[in-house]
Amino acid sequence: MLVRFFAAACAAAGVEEEDHPMPEGTSLETLLAAVLAVHRPEPPAGTAPLPRILQRCSFLRNQVALRDPTAGLGTSDVIDVLPPFAGG
Amino acid sequence: MSKAETQIQVIRTSLASEPIAVEEAIAAVGSERDGAVVSFSGVVRNHDGGKGVEQLRYSAHPIAEQVLREVVAALVQEKTGADSQSLRIWAAHRVGRLEIGDSALVCAVAAPHRQQAFEVCCELVDRIKAQVPIWKEQFFSDGTTEWVSSGG
Repeated sequence: MLVRFFAAACAAAGVEEEDHPMPEGTSLETLLAAVLAVHRPEPPAGTAPLPRILQRCSFLRNQVALRDPTAGLGTSDVIDVLPPFAGG
Repeated sequence: MSKAETQIQVIRTSLASEPIAVEEAIAAVGSERDGAVVSFSGVVRNHDGGKGVEQLRYSAHPIAEQVLREVVAALVQEKTGADSQSLRIWAAHRVGRLEIGDSALVCAVAAPHRQQAFEVCCELVDRIKAQVPIWKEQFFSDGTTEWVSSGG
């Protein structure tokens, strides 16, 4: 499963994307636990730590809103991590 | 053409990497049938939360332009009706690095009567801010930076 980080989540993760080899049917909750288990350098000044940012994020599965954190994901799914929008 | 297309025209919805001029939006939506043109410019200000701001950087998800189109289309769908004839809508959002005074979001709505133009423009701005996946990074005068609304 490919996880893509955007904006503050990207800054806090330290990468734009990372692959998590998880079994078919893994839930978003479990995937995010794996994301948080990765050891990461301190985020840059002005960026909150990834666990705090993730609490406020919404998610896309293959570019469609993913609202059920318990739903089973596919091994080739692309999960986008979107911090709260701040346009305008 | 569908009823929506004949009654309401979406003149432009886009993400822009170059400066957006509100004058262009106003000129694009107006027609001889319109008694009101309401425009909005979301402008980069030089302060936020008591700190001086030097510049902003906006970034967008690849689907942001599509979402912007959908937001406008949904509004058009809802406003289509007997009292919504000849409503014309224009909306654009900047991405990239913006300086103080630059327009980040420009919307314009033309309608036969002012109340509808005000209402639709206000609703349009609120929905774009809430629904379009765009992010803002602030660069303060003291050298610090901040991702706006990110939970930091």
